[in-house]
Amino acid sequence: MSDLVTLKIDGIEVSVPAGTMIIEAANKIGREIPVFCYHSKLSTVGVCRVCLVKVGTPGFDRATRQPILDVAGNPVIRFFPKPMPACSTPVSAGMEVITESKESLADRQAILEFLLTSHPLDCPVCDKGGECPLQDLTYAHGRGESRFEYQRKHTSPKKIPLGDLIVLDTERCIICTRCIRFQDEIAGDHVLAIENRGRDAKVVSYTEPKFDSKYSGNTTDICPVGALTSRDFRFKDMNKPGVRIWELTNVPSISNYCNMGSNLVLGTHVGEIRRVMPRQNELVNEIWLTNKTRFGHHFHSSSHRLTAPLIKENGKFKQATWEDALSLIATKFHEAGEHIGGIAGPHLSNEDLYLFQKLFREVLNSNNIDHRICLNSAIDDDLAYEIGVGIGTDIGQLAENSAIFLLGSDLDEEASMLYLRVRGAVRRGCHLINANGRYTKLDTVANTKLRYNYGSAVHLVLGMTATILDEGLEDKNFVYARLEGIDKLKTKLQAYTPEKVADITGIDADIIRQAARDFAKAENGIILYGAEAGNDTALHASIRNLALITGHVGKKDNGVTAILPHCNSRGAADLGVIPHRLPGYHPVADEIGMSAKEMLQPNHGLQAMYIVAADIVGEVVTCKSAIETTDFVVVQDLFMTETAKLADVVLPAKAIAERDGSYTNLERRVQVYDPAILSPTPTCWADWHIITAIAGRLGAEWTHASADGVMQEITEQVSLYKHMSFENLTKPISLERKRQHYIYSGMSFTADVREGVQWATRAENQASFFELKFIEPENDMPQSDIILVAPRVAYDGGMLISQAEILANLIQQPKATLSPSVAQRLSLSKGDTVQLTSSVGSVALPIAIDGKLPDNVVLTPRNLAGSVAEQLLDGHNIFIGVKIVH
Amino acid sequence: MTLVKEFVDGTVEIGRAMGITLKYFLRKPVTNQFPDEPVEVYPRFRGRHVLNRYENGLEKCIGCSLCAAACPTGCIFVEAGENDEENPVSLGERYAVRYEINMLRCIFCGYCEEACPTNAITLEHDFALSEYDRWDAIYTKERLLKPHAPDHIKVRSDEVFVERYGWGNTKDS
Ligand code: SF4
Ligand code: SF4
Ligand code: SF4
Ligand code: FES
Repeated sequence: MSDLVTLKIDGIEVSVPAGTMIIEAANKIGREIPVFCYHSKLSTVGVCRVCLVKVGTPGFDRATRQPILDVAGNPVIRFFPKPMPACSTPVSAGMEVITESKESLADRQAILEFLLTSHPLDCPVCDKGGECPLQDLTYAHGRGESRFEYQRKHTSPKKIPLGDLIVLDTERCIICTRCIRFQDEIAGDHVLAIENRGRDAKVVSYTEPKFDSKYSGNTTDICPVGALTSRDFRFKDMNKPGVRIWELTNVPSISNYCNMGSNLVLGTHVGEIRRVMPRQNELVNEIWLTNKTRFGHHFHSSSHRLTAPLIKENGKFKQATWEDALSLIATKFHEAGEHIGGIAGPHLSNEDLYLFQKLFREVLNSNNIDHRICLNSAIDDDLAYEIGVGIGTDIGQLAENSAIFLLGSDLDEEASMLYLRVRGAVRRGCHLINANGRYTKLDTVANTKLRYNYGSAVHLVLGMTATILDEGLEDKNFVYARLEGIDKLKTKLQAYTPEKVADITGIDADIIRQAARDFAKAENGIILYGAEAGNDTALHASIRNLALITGHVGKKDNGVTAILPHCNSRGAADLGVIPHRLPGYHPVADEIGMSAKEMLQPNHGLQAMYIVAADIVGEVVTCKSAIETTDFVVVQDLFMTETAKLADVVLPAKAIAERDGSYTNLERRVQVYDPAILSPTPTCWADWHIITAIAGRLGAEWTHASADGVMQEITEQVSLYKHMSFENLTKPISLERKRQHYIYSGMSFTADVREGVQWATRAENQASFFELKFIEPENDMPQSDIILVAPRVAYDGGMLISQAEILANLIQQPKATLSPSVAQRLSLSKGDTVQLTSSVGSVALPIAIDGKLPDNVVLTPRNLAGSVAEQLLDGHNIFIGVKIVH
Repeated sequence: MTLVKEFVDGTVEIGRAMGITLKYFLRKPVTNQFPDEPVEVYPRFRGRHVLNRYENGLEKCIGCSLCAAACPTGCIFVEAGENDEENPVSLGERYAVRYEINMLRCIFCGYCEEACPTNAITLEHDFALSEYDRWDAIYTKERLLKPHAPDHIKVRSDEVFVERYGWGNTKDS
């Protein structure tokens, strides 16, 4: 890439690429230089000056342009008269750096003394105390005593709330601008700024609500002082007494809200979760967390948790023993025979899901199981199995010569962690093609923005594929060696050239051609697709063809990923909680079972239903009657959900932090979480434990005693998961890799860095062979001037997140968002209510106006309280034609 | 022979022992009538803790938990809360909502006193800490905050201490 430059740091020689800053070169050989404003994930500004070092370069003779040599023949080093900032001085050949020269030590001491003249010295009450870089550096390099008078300290306002989540203490702020750079560069929410200069400089936020960002919590981690603290952890603010960070017990875990499976650390104190901090995993979440993950943990300690099994008698729930509940369930399940169905939520761990399908397939002899509560809540695909992203794919490292084709998903809402990473990739030079029917946040950085008409995404993909074949841009070696049916595809695609699809997609043929060229020519290509692209086999086949002919499959940084909604949607599909597939994507041998959609029709003909960790009625209110008409319903959950209220038996489960287990993320990475706290009562059982107990009552002889043991069985039974034993999954990464990639400091705890294990797709096997499939797209464009689009949003109406009081104001309320011109045409203003009518149903909703929305779209998020949007959708796509009446 | 020698030696030894007894019998006793008479302790004797207040009545403790962190036996428990600006409990933002010391575990090392940034916790002179109920040995904040100067303790003045023995010398030398 670039040439190596050799320099000497404290007498040690090191070679680094040209353009590297001194500090990075020093880190490489383990020399630590103190920093405040520098952060390896952010741009360099060089404002704090604590990193000053002595720098010299070889002297050159002006006349001869030759290096000056001393008597021994070594080049003479000329040191700069003033020290240089290590964070913003690039290396040069022959440079010599002295990190701890007398001058720089004196400078450091002086900088710290000056910083402390306007710093309140309230470490004993500061939440950062104990993991504060300013504290540590003062201890290591400070004078110990100040020559300034304490009484004349500069004071400024403390405890300024920045929105609901973050509190700013201007007195502690050292104006390093890390928080501002994080918001601008990583999050892309420009909500913070520095106001005034000199002593009056302060961090401000003028957005409404203040500090309006889904990622704001991360600034409290990277702030090198206690200026930004989270309201959740601050003493008393969230009605809990304060604890100090060194009193916490830190347990590694995984986010239950994040489909990327963000790694985190649960800080617990006397059996309660007190804070959630990121755990670095460069392949998943780097060092970031979303606010939803960081602040949404309160459901664990909610007083509404179920604590004992309940049996309904005469319409009222009565507390029961496990003994009674299990025998009743066993009798009823036995009576139901084959007329039984099971729905398991995609928040369950892999172990639970595996045993769930085993219970149905082996003990109850039924294939009626599913994890997709309504069909349109999941993207039904086999693409991950065939051509999912290659092992080792690291979107966090993608840079020039790679391309991401994002089709029909608003990552900011649907996969927030992926949004940060894709955004980072674009910043490093990766080419982003963002195709959607409306404006999404990634449009601000996308290199190519494609705005298709809803329902025509498949035509767009076909148009791109046609271009590639037409212009001969396909990966010829790959096509020759591993594909079949390319000629047939070529003929079929003649009807879908960019010129021919321009009309239906609404995108100019030239633009489609250019996008196709960009994607095909990139060395690495990833396709991410979401539900706004549609949900039919024609679309999946077309995406498959595009990835295959460009050869963007089966290797690192290449492949296809569906934006699935939940933290373990992938695991549920992998482990066969689906009516037509066994674990490991093997088709069922006997008859295909009923899907959730069929089970939730009014005339489903089932006598018993077993629903685990799925609030079906909460998500799709129209499913209520199907559950009511079932004779015997068992619901296993954490809370008395709308669904549980209809059940005959309710079983209390353990929440994620109370047990161990594993999740599989979007990129097929399996990761383990550890138990951190006890459940509210011992009568809450882990889901796998309950399923095992039920199986036992039904005569099965299962011997599972731990999640670990269940996973052991999975590794033996499911070949895709053969490397997923807990022993493998909890292995810390190699020291070598840790040194290269894991440099983040500033936390008081050390947590094992685990990177999880990905399973190999079919394409990874170099001998595998693929047949190109072409499926004629049906024309399912919504036939209406106005299209309702119902994507998922981050702050949804879910039961778990609603337990977090701190997030209460962020939870979205159902509304219909319109473009200003539509609002004008219907003479609507903010606060009015409209009646939306589709071919399926009709609902009334208050409106909101968004200038960025196209004129033919109304937006109503799908996963909000009351599941309003679901009443308008047809269960196939997440968009549908509607009529709006005032 | 041996019998006679043993008899004589024994008599002499008994005589010497009785001599010592007699000597101390005539001296002023070193024991005292506790608890009727107060016990004298050195000023730097480390006994029962006290939580102090400022003159204006505000608590000195700011709930920082540094004492709990320093304590080698982990017998201090602190939970902090945020001061109401109108009616502050302590100076600054934070105060101790709960402050407990388990006296059964405390080894009276004084590390807590050492760690405290505000001199809120100090080890005073009371050593008579027996309780009828083990739970009562967990001293709460309310108990620790009450002024505590029991009659059965008398603190020697520093002067006497210095005059008689000098710093760092033991009594017998
Ligand atoms: S609030 Fe923290 S991160 Fe932001 S400028 Fe101040 S010290 Fe730096
Ligand atoms: S005297 Fe020592 S053992 Fe007792 S509370 Fe203080 S620090 Fe702990
Ligand atoms: S007694 Fe002192 S060290 Fe302990 S919490 Fe109070 S202020 Fe902090
Ligand atoms: S870290 Fe180099 S100037 Fe701040």
